[in-house]
Amino acid sequence: MLHLFTVVIVILAGIVAVTAAGIVAVRLVRRTRERKRAELAARSRPALLAFVADNGEEGGDELVAIPEQAWRAAEPHALALLGKLRGEAHAGLVSVFLRRGTARTALGRLRSRSPVVRARAAQVLGDLELRQAVPELCRLLTDRHAEVRVVAVRSLGRIGDPAAAWSIIAGLDRSDSIPALLASHTLAQLGAEAEVTLSAALDHPQARVRAVCLDALGLLGATGSVDRIARLLREDTSVDVRVAAATNLGKMGTRGALEPLSAAVHSSRPTLLRAAAARALGDLGSPSAVPTLVALLDDETYQVAHEAAHALRRLGPAGLDALRDTVEADRSRAEAGGAGAHAQRSTAALHAEEALALARVLHEERVGAAR
Amino acid sequence: MTDVVRDVLRYTDFAIFAYFIALNSGYLALIVLAGLEFREHLRRMPFAGADDMFRSPLTLPVSVIVPAHNEGAGIVAAVQAMTALRYPRYEVVVVDDGSSDDTFERLRAQFDLVAVPRVVPSEIPYRSQVLSVHVARANPETLTVVRKTNGGKADALNVGINLARHPLVCMVDADSVLDPDALLSVAKPFGDDPLRVAACGGVVRIANGCKVVGGRVVDVRMPKPWLLRVQVVEYLRAFLMGRTGWSRLGGLVVISGAFGIFRRDLVVEVGGMDPDTIGEDAELVVRLHHHLRRRHADYRVIFVAEPVSWSEAPSRLRVLGRQRRRWHRGIAEILSKHRGMILNPRYGRIGLLALPYYVLFELLAPFVELAAVVLLPLGLWAGAVDVGFAWRFVLVAYGYGLLVSLVSLFIEEVSFHRYPRWSDIARGVAAALVENFGYRQVLAVWQAWGALGAWRGRKAVWGVMHREGFGGDLDSPEMVGVGRG
Repeated sequence: MLHLFTVVIVILAGIVAVTAAGIVAVRLVRRTRERKRAELAARSRPALLAFVADNGEEGGDELVAIPEQAWRAAEPHALALLGKLRGEAHAGLVSVFLRRGTARTALGRLRSRSPVVRARAAQVLGDLELRQAVPELCRLLTDRHAEVRVVAVRSLGRIGDPAAAWSIIAGLDRSDSIPALLASHTLAQLGAEAEVTLSAALDHPQARVRAVCLDALGLLGATGSVDRIARLLREDTSVDVRVAAATNLGKMGTRGALEPLSAAVHSSRPTLLRAAAARALGDLGSPSAVPTLVALLDDETYQVAHEAAHALRRLGPAGLDALRDTVEADRSRAEAGGAGAHAQRSTAALHAEEALALARVLHEERVGAAR
Repeated sequence: MTDVVRDVLRYTDFAIFAYFIALNSGYLALIVLAGLEFREHLRRMPFAGADDMFRSPLTLPVSVIVPAHNEGAGIVAAVQAMTALRYPRYEVVVVDDGSSDDTFERLRAQFDLVAVPRVVPSEIPYRSQVLSVHVARANPETLTVVRKTNGGKADALNVGINLARHPLVCMVDADSVLDPDALLSVAKPFGDDPLRVAACGGVVRIANGCKVVGGRVVDVRMPKPWLLRVQVVEYLRAFLMGRTGWSRLGGLVVISGAFGIFRRDLVVEVGGMDPDTIGEDAELVVRLHHHLRRRHADYRVIFVAEPVSWSEAPSRLRVLGRQRRRWHRGIAEILSKHRGMILNPRYGRIGLLALPYYVLFELLAPFVELAAVVLLPLGLWAGAVDVGFAWRFVLVAYGYGLLVSLVSLFIEEVSFHRYPRWSDIARGVAAALVENFGYRQVLAVWQAWGALGAWRGRKAVWGVMHREGFGGDLDSPEMVGVGRG
């Protein structure tokens, strides 16, 4: 038994020594590799920066001629630059990548067995904003690895080809769907040309799809779809969809949204929807919403009363006057009752005071900033 | 002495030895899992999409809640850092929980606070009285400071959650300094998997000795005092590696109150923080598991290893003792409160793996450690074990512990390598060795004391946590971190 213990101690001491040496070795190797990579990247960087500074007009051949090893070291920097460039400089740098065969390699790697390699390739194609890659990236939307699907969606957004809209929408209609917020943002990145597809998808049987398309239409400011969105706000069976409809009608800021939003704050509706509709009425910017919002100030649900008060604040002078009137009416009622300052304040007055106080601070902030 | 007593001592010593082996093997398994997780995390970094998340107008906004009680020394630096995080839309809600020092005055002077008559909802019940609500004049929608009567950390968090306007709530200790991308990293899982992620914990590292400039840790250093160096190794092993390992196993039950983010609707649904439990952060996570498992929900509680929240570790033995008594008391209370989940198949990996592990290798560990300290010499004295066995026992048990710590340091060096100096490596390795001589044993006394306090039903006392702060002088461009490491 003791002999066994002794053997274990010796083995343990060996592993401890190897681990300690391993820590030192890892650091040495990493630092050496980093130094080499930095040296290689430094050689290509001046040519890269000169090319970009020259709007991509001259120096492309030099960049294409950089040896593969040095280019690999400089590539992360070049890809990062790509995201910051616009116009000719961007197009010039993309052409350098294309001439070096980066896009061809990335397209090939989309079929790699490794999900990490596939995702990296999809990322590169998105960075290059390569339209030819759209069909292949759409195929990746059904990849069995969620992270690959996520990168493919992001890349499609960066490329901005409206032809991808239906594929992205189809990607939402599965049990392990792509993240809703990412999908909304991507669909909006596809531009106004995608509006017809998004508007048609508002009749999709999946509530998640309808909610995503509503958010995308809101980001696009698709005022042409207001009537369809108002119909969802009135009739949809899903509360989440109706909340999304209310929120996005508010963002669009059209007069046609006033009536359906005013109806959505009715006390028979779910609290989440009423609060969202009250908030949207404030975003709408129409003074016609004031009476509806004032009526909500003494709502027994905190969320609804709170949103109504701050919606009035955001409406500007008409809303602020209504808030002041509410506070004043409460004060007059207290004085008439003989309680004066000790009177129990009404919920409406408390919410109105909160919104007015914030309005004052924001006003001071704006005045201060203007100075 | 009878042969029976000798036999009992001998077998007990063997049982303790087996326990040490099992304990360290458990740690090692978690650390190896953490290593695999870090490898995948680092390979995915180039396409993780943090920049896309930052630019997206739909990224979920976050309310950062900072409970503060007598945190005058470091509160301004911490809030400054929190209001300058890289995140598209968020607010910071500081809840001054009846401080008797100048916590609020410092905040008022620095951020030009102005009182606003906020209506405080009571979606989650709270026990104390809200005295006033203030906003920063220059940034009223980003910084809110609430003054309330003292009610404890959990109560302060409940007030903060009630006032939070956003769908995600991030709880951060007032003595924490966050990395600029910390919020982006812990909130990202909610964007990637919004239907399933219920909570996400961020790693907490020790700020003592580091250089802090403008509320940012800019130079990571190993602190000078051995008490702090040992804690650095301990945090790496237990917090960074241990929790990442549990996260990979789907059994994470502890998200540190120093840096964790939750879906607000779920926190409200379970009734917020429990003010009667001293380990309210972990208790909330266990209650969330309990609630979601009973609902048969498909959910995830995860841990992200980078970037980080930097926290001030106790530099005095007395303060450290209070902290560890409190932590262990918290474990004892939580396991007692949720004992119905332990070994209950209804709660899946939480009930069958994570909680039994916590009972066996967290709650009972200090008692076994102390038993070894007492029974091994007793066995020697009684002739139940011989000297040859005794020294081999000590070498194997503590040697294995040392190996576990070194593997943690190795994985840290491979993955994040946050300590750039060669001397820091040497000090880390030395601290991994030093912690076995005295530190672990004293720690076991405090921990056992904490657990006994919970079992006896003694009233929990938070105690004064002495803070040195991150320099405090905001006019100074450079502030050296706590501990003057």
